[in-house]
Amino acid sequence: MTAIIGPNGHGKSTFLKTIAGLLPTWSGQIFFEGVLLPAGAPERARLGLTLVPQGDQLFTGMTVEENLKMGAFARSDQQAVRATLETVYSLFPRLLERRTQRADSLSGGERRMVGIGRGMMADSKLMMIDEPSLGLAPLIIEQIYGALGQLAASGRAIIVVEENPSRVAKVASNFHLMDGGKFDWSGTAAELETSGDIVKTYLGA
Amino acid sequence: MDAIIQIVVSGLTLGAMYALGSVGLALTYGTMRMFNMAHGVFMTIGAYAAYSCVEAFGVPLALSLVAGILAGGLIAAIMHLLVVQFMLDTQDFEINILVATAGVGILLQDFLLKIYGGYPFRQPVQVEGVFKIGNVVVPYQSLIILALAFALIFALAWVLTKTKFGLAIRATAMNQEAAMLMGVKTSKTYLQVLIIAGMLAGAAGILISSISTLSPDMGQNPAVRAFVICVVAGLGSVTGAGAAAIALGLFEAAIQYYFGVRYGLPLMLGLVVVVLIWRPSGLFGRQEVIRS
Repeated sequence: MTAIIGPNGHGKSTFLKTIAGLLPTWSGQIFFEGVLLPAGAPERARLGLTLVPQGDQLFTGMTVEENLKMGAFARSDQQAVRATLETVYSLFPRLLERRTQRADSLSGGERRMVGIGRGMMADSKLMMIDEPSLGLAPLIIEQIYGALGQLAASGRAIIVVEENPSRVAKVASNFHLMDGGKFDWSGTAAELETSGDIVKTYLGA
Repeated sequence: MDAIIQIVVSGLTLGAMYALGSVGLALTYGTMRMFNMAHGVFMTIGAYAAYSCVEAFGVPLALSLVAGILAGGLIAAIMHLLVVQFMLDTQDFEINILVATAGVGILLQDFLLKIYGGYPFRQPVQVEGVFKIGNVVVPYQSLIILALAFALIFALAWVLTKTKFGLAIRATAMNQEAAMLMGVKTSKTYLQVLIIAGMLAGAAGILISSISTLSPDMGQNPAVRAFVICVVAGLGSVTGAGAAAIALGLFEAAIQYYFGVRYGLPLMLGLVVVVLIWRPSGLFGRQEVIRS
């Protein structure tokens, strides 16, 4: 798991949205697994790039299970989709309890679980998660990161954007500090701990 | 008792036609935030296409009905490909598309006037004959209208709730950006939605013309009602539009029976005003809550 950290308003979300194809690339090209990415978010999603957007962006009028099924929209192997659904439910048992409930009746933490679960349903090659801790209570944040840790441990490639590095310090292996739209510092988890001043200056952590 | 049967029969017939005209409009608005001002002309085109199939080519009635429905879908597809797709994602889309589709509507209506002339024709695509419930005379065509309208609306409901295709339409309606992230090609979804709405409009046009007459401006009145119904139901609510259409059809039939035909539309509009004072976002509409 790679974490992109940095202060507010310095381009972390923009970076993810650009990779996902929601925003146009002004200059340069993006390659994924050696292939030049086509323009357009739906095409990129079908190539195995999943973005779990900030603030969940659930389909509020649909049930939890319909939301999850939408996550697997681009997949055609229904048996494999059901298997992934099982995985999501075992990672977030709460969603199994709430599966027939409409997404707009859920709590903030549950909505986040649906958002991440929906991202998992694509069974993509790379999952990008934008601020999974945004607006949640500390206890819920721990649960969410616990789940993300399990996902990373199962070998899934994840990029997570987070303002506060202490939240991701335990689960991520690589860190990039974004400032003013550029990576100012990059390093591993161990280097982050010993980096001292640089990261502290930026983040006050 | 006869009065009640009479009101229920004509109210349901009216309501079924209104519903067929409204759900397509509601679906278009709900999915793409597009108020299609050409919707009424799509109805007219469906009606004239069915008419021409019978009168000019001698196609059997059932096939002419299908042809009329397809003509509605085709004209909607053409409008999407020539006009709408270039305006999606532009600033002030909602206002611009309203003006643009109004223009398309006027253009198409004048084409019809040019081709067919202003003389009202009788719609040949209908079933003759009547039967009686008690003392009330019921045309078979009323039953046809009811059956066809409900069949099409239930088919739409089934597609929207049970198929993957429908799931994509609903997802796009609820959150376009998220739908794109799931791999839904939303531009294609918009085309499909317009085709569905056009086909429903075509069907509505054929049914409406079967109990009145064919004329180039026949779509205007039903379109106004469809707009009103969508506003009362809450913009974009498809099931709401269906329910509101039936209710308003029954209401209008009762008014027509007790006060006279000419009071139907004014009193219906009066009721709409009252509803909107009481519930500004419509009966089934939700106040949009925006969370960041």
